[in-house]
Amino acid sequence: MRLLVIEDDATLLQSLTTKLVESGFAVEQAADGKEGLYYALEYPIDLAIVDLGLPEMSGLDIIREVRKQGKSYPVLILTARDRWQDKVDGLEAGADDYVVKPFHFEEVSARVNALLRRSGGWASSVMTAGPVTLDMSRQELSVNDAQIELTSFEYKIIEYLMVRAGQVISKTELTERLYDQDFERDSNVIEVFIGRLRKKLDPDNSIKPIETLRGRGYRFALERDQSG
Amino acid sequence: MSSLSARLLVSVSVLLVLFFGTTIVVLDTAFRKAGEQAQDDILDGHLMAMLAAAEPTEAGVLGMPPDMPEPRFSNIGSGLYAEIRDDLDAVVWRSRSALGLEVPVGVVPDDGNHLFLDEALADGTPLRTLSLAVQWEFPDGELRPYIFKVAESLDSFNAQLSKFRRQLFGWFGLVALIMLLAISILMRRLLKPLRRMKREIGEIEEGKRASLSGQLPTELVGVARNMNLLIDSERARSDRYRFTLDNLAHSLKTPLAAMRALLNERDKSDFAGRYNEQIDRMDEIVRYQLRKPAASAAENLVLAPVQVGNEVKRLVDGLHKVYIDKNPAIDVHVDDDIRFRGDTGDFLELAGNLLDNACKWCDHEVRITIEAAVDHDAVASGMLLRVADDGPGIPADAADALLQRGTRLDESTPGHGIGLAIVKDIARSYGGVLTIGASDLGGAEITVTIPPISSQPRPDA
Repeated sequence: MRLLVIEDDATLLQSLTTKLVESGFAVEQAADGKEGLYYALEYPIDLAIVDLGLPEMSGLDIIREVRKQGKSYPVLILTARDRWQDKVDGLEAGADDYVVKPFHFEEVSARVNALLRRSGGWASSVMTAGPVTLDMSRQELSVNDAQIELTSFEYKIIEYLMVRAGQVISKTELTERLYDQDFERDSNVIEVFIGRLRKKLDPDNSIKPIETLRGRGYRFALERDQSG
Repeated sequence: MSSLSARLLVSVSVLLVLFFGTTIVVLDTAFRKAGEQAQDDILDGHLMAMLAAAEPTEAGVLGMPPDMPEPRFSNIGSGLYAEIRDDLDAVVWRSRSALGLEVPVGVVPDDGNHLFLDEALADGTPLRTLSLAVQWEFPDGELRPYIFKVAESLDSFNAQLSKFRRQLFGWFGLVALIMLLAISILMRRLLKPLRRMKREIGEIEEGKRASLSGQLPTELVGVARNMNLLIDSERARSDRYRFTLDNLAHSLKTPLAAMRALLNERDKSDFAGRYNEQIDRMDEIVRYQLRKPAASAAENLVLAPVQVGNEVKRLVDGLHKVYIDKNPAIDVHVDDDIRFRGDTGDFLELAGNLLDNACKWCDHEVRITIEAAVDHDAVASGMLLRVADDGPGIPADAADALLQRGTRLDESTPGHGIGLAIVKDIARSYGGVLTIGASDLGGAEITVTIPPISSQPRPDA
């Protein structure tokens, strides 16, 4: 998942980025409003974390512009202004949730995960599709209640596919959303990882969780279990 | 007396009564004097005619010819009487008109003198009399004293006088009435700008108008200008204050957030945890103390009243987003015409904190009710805000402890109860109260009562 963080305090921006990268996200950083809006509109983004008090352009204006341009990815507001007036303004502008400074990173992380999960259409915090269960907050995947050991990149891929279960995801999209910028973008690597995931999740080739659509990409094929 | 018009009307009435009273007295006196003078002149004329007509009779006394020049002397009870007496008060001659009446003798004047007197007949009829004492020289050269007396009943004069008085009072009363009417119409016209000013101030209070219009007479233009300046500066001050506090809060909280982030990046020890606690405390102090304090009652007068319904809808829409996983059913009961007389931000804090708590604790049902505290007069009604949920509720003993928070901020746990402390604080600054109870939904019900603006504490009180 590729996140955009717009925050003008350098220390906070750096620290938040570090933590998010540690949690397995690819992160774009912007330190002022104009730069932030550029990233928000031009880059492939799964979620934006926006501080409201920004130089050049306010967070609220960024959110309004993003929504006006038809971008529907979730936006999490990061704000020092905790008056309801500001919260309501932010939510009305098009944000989906807010975190008030000074926050605990765990809070941000929990909200980011919840927003990402919801943006894929999942209602509950643990995503279940047939025998496959993914707990985003714990970054754990299990098949038939047996936990599967995954590398961080493997986890990123299956999380991305499962959040968007049913949608076709191209190799390019996966590369864009999962690699950090400075990684070499080689779509063959994705094929390798998909192969490994299939072996780990479905060693006897019985449940077929990941479907390949030639020339188009991949799809998490199992039916969502919304009651779970 | 509080009304300018009433004051002026009463003053003018007193003046009118004084002026017309004096005029009436003066006119009445003048009329009466003139009438009396005319009466006396007439009496004098009659007496002269009598003197001219009198002549000695064969009996050697003074007598009058049978046909008097004035016919009233001959008609019985005509009101004009005459008689001649000798020096022994014996009646020598009496006019026919005085038949059966006894003209009083009265005081006899000295020789050769006229004497006017006010006397009365035996039946009480007032008389004006003129007596003249003369020495009548008979043809034999003897001088004998006689008293000629003419009397006229004052009945007709008095009737005339009272008719005059009636007319006088009637006309003056009419004139006074017309004048009062004219003055009150004048007053209405004169005070029209003041009334408009009053109406405009009312509209400012209701938020329908931003400032006073300039269409006022020169005498009031200064007042209106100063008032507009006051309103503007009050608004600007309020905005500036809020802006400053907001910036201060913002500029304190970002470093706090950075501090926490730096701390947690490297250090997972107990040491970091203790630092985190301190950061939480500082955060809470900033949140609580740097919240813009609720506007004072005086400020509320210049603030546009909050359309409560809209704001609640905004909050509910926002909370639906935030609590999308829990998806609580938020039941909104807000009277359409309810307006909150105060700062929009304050109202959002009140309702927002309560709704947020309710959403946090509820099972799946939340209800917000806002109604007039007193009656449905939109300006002066006050507000009753109730938020109920179907969560675990708040036990009575815990409720007291919860309300203590905020006043003893350093003992409160981060993240809990500060919202309620803020609500309580805002309610108090509007002269209102917060109570914690049980709701029929099964959970807690928080009630905030805000009294009408007129009974809110004044800053100088």
